[in-house]
Amino acid sequence: MRYSQFLSFEWKQFKRSSSFQKGIGIKIVLLLAALYFIAAFTGLGLVAYYLIQKSFPQLDPIVVVNNYLIFWFLLDLTYRFFLQQLPVMNIKPFMVVPVKRSTIIHYLLAKTSWSFFNWLPLFFFIPFAIILLVEAYPLIQVMGWLVAMILFTLSLNYLNFLINKNNTYFYGLVSLIFGFAALRYFNIYDITVLAGEFFNKMYSLWYAFLIPLLLLVLLYRRNYAFVRKSFYLDDAIRKEKKLVKTQEFSFLNRFGKMAPFLKNDLKLILRNARPKQVLFMSFLFLFYGLIFYTQETYSDSPAFLVFASVFITGGFLLSYGQLVPSWDSEYYKLLMSQNIPYRQYLESKWYLMLVAVIISFILATPYIYFGWDIYAMIAAGAIFNIGLNSFITLFGGALNRVPVELNVKAKAFGNTQGFNPTQLLIALPKMLGPMLIFYIPYKLINFNAGLLALALSGLIGLMLKSFFLNKIESIYQKGKYKTIAAFNEKK
Amino acid sequence: MIRVENLSKKYNQDEVLHIEHLEIPKGQSFGLVGNNGAGKTTFFSLLLDLIQPTTGHIVSNSIRIDASEDWKPFTAAFIDESFLIGYLTAEEYFYFIGELRGQNKTAVDALLAEFEDFFQDEILQKKKYLRDLSKGNQKKVGIIAALIGQPDVVILDEPFANLDPTTQIRLKKIIKDLDENTETTILISSHDLIHVTEVCERIVVLDKGEPVKDIQTSQATLEELEAYFNK
Repeated sequence: MRYSQFLSFEWKQFKRSSSFQKGIGIKIVLLLAALYFIAAFTGLGLVAYYLIQKSFPQLDPIVVVNNYLIFWFLLDLTYRFFLQQLPVMNIKPFMVVPVKRSTIIHYLLAKTSWSFFNWLPLFFFIPFAIILLVEAYPLIQVMGWLVAMILFTLSLNYLNFLINKNNTYFYGLVSLIFGFAALRYFNIYDITVLAGEFFNKMYSLWYAFLIPLLLLVLLYRRNYAFVRKSFYLDDAIRKEKKLVKTQEFSFLNRFGKMAPFLKNDLKLILRNARPKQVLFMSFLFLFYGLIFYTQETYSDSPAFLVFASVFITGGFLLSYGQLVPSWDSEYYKLLMSQNIPYRQYLESKWYLMLVAVIISFILATPYIYFGWDIYAMIAAGAIFNIGLNSFITLFGGALNRVPVELNVKAKAFGNTQGFNPTQLLIALPKMLGPMLIFYIPYKLINFNAGLLALALSGLIGLMLKSFFLNKIESIYQKGKYKTIAAFNEKK
Repeated sequence: MIRVENLSKKYNQDEVLHIEHLEIPKGQSFGLVGNNGAGKTTFFSLLLDLIQPTTGHIVSNSIRIDASEDWKPFTAAFIDESFLIGYLTAEEYFYFIGELRGQNKTAVDALLAEFEDFFQDEILQKKKYLRDLSKGNQKKVGIIAALIGQPDVVILDEPFANLDPTTQIRLKKIIKDLDENTETTILISSHDLIHVTEVCERIVVLDKGEPVKDIQTSQATLEELEAYFNK
């Protein structure tokens, strides 16, 4: 069994999947975005040296870069966590045929190193290194540094794999980062100074690249061991030992006809790995305001604050809502043949989002600390979320026919991404819309007029609820057969 | 109860199902047999409006299935595992289906009690999610769930496959009871000619999407079917 054979299988899987057609348009947009980033990074790599020289004339640009590299790599890791698609491969057919497991795993891991996220940083590092050489920096040190940077980037690739697949690594790393951030914030200890010194050593000692090389090897081996361990169809063989309780949630009965769906959705969220991840992420969105409200830069451009405010109460709505029919993909045929009118199904999802926005709004109360203006903005954003974003999200869901595997997270071979670029693209209008609705009356009249417009647009949306739901229902109805067929497709 | 009019389903140019006319009276237990690819599951999927007919339509209780959703309240089905909700326990799943069909907990419990020996102590109070049950046990859950709320039409695709021998025998009894004591119309597909001749009053053989035999079950039916499939 050759690697090329795996490649040809994958090409076939890609070409023959039903989402291929729809994917092509999105892929073109992604390609353009990629070209943009390549150009931006190359440009930055070419001018960074002179820019730093101008701003910090007394410092050596390479030292400045090294001092800030830690933030670069943190950002890199964050982007990867949210956006990088991890390899998905159906291993079952290969388990009993004579292919060495190690071959499959090496292939899988090697594949990740071809990701765009590994190439992109090179478009900065290589031009920057060339400029260093042009400026007569010693060749051997620059090369050593460049190799170290490439190795660090690749290490991040494998670190990302681990934190995506394994909760222990994920929470370990998150708490480590928060810990150091807190130490720095309270001026107890600044890790970035140490990191700066560390990265400067990468330059001053040309052979220091052996450290990231070692790191890469260690991470690769961790990955290998992790994947190797999960190379079994555990579900089929091992008996589940954990006993579970039957839950009633009878307090939801007051929602009448919607109650069974709401109860079900609650169980869906609480009992499956993937929605739990989404819930956790939307909790993090609550803190989004802290980034924006504390920055001087944004206080003059309230449109960006609107953006943050919509996110604070809309985290769950956006991240859960965008996958609305997909969450039920595993048993969609049941829902479609059971005694469930589409309308009720959609309405219950809408209520779920409504409740989520209200809860987020209550949890956002401490933002009063930043002033009533901010709080009013969050309230207007919440109304907008309820009145318009909820419907836009449900509408977007009708176009989304990617089945979701609910309970795959700890396993190494499922795609566990909570976010992917396609969904991000669909999400853009939901974010830019409120900014626009706020910005125009804000520019023409004043701040309060902007807020009023935002809240009003939400209220109007709310009044048109049954109109919107009718429209969305007919779109779902029209796409019903296609959706069933797409969800039926085995991964 | 069910009337099929000029129904066909084509994928590209391949016709996978073509039924000129077929009527299934109320209360009949109707068996569908045929080799792989004969169109059994296609027909059931059309009955549940999971796929769209290329031509013609099905009318169930004077409701056109592809035009209205009103057949849903009196129709129940178990086609495959995608009719189960993996993250629910068996009880939760039964109560959920019960709620959808307007049955309260007591009514569902009463129904489940009737099928206690069918479950063989493997389903209820097991504190397991459905996704962690074996294939056979999942099937038991799906079949019984399709009986909740006295539906007029029950559709079971390959109900005997994957079941252990004891459960197969009990399932046959359940279907016969339903047939004799209620007005339920039962549609069953099976590869097992013995089972299907035992429980169905009428058997239709599909071949490459077309009904080729329509038999009222008698002593001679099994032999006739075996002769047909042994051609």
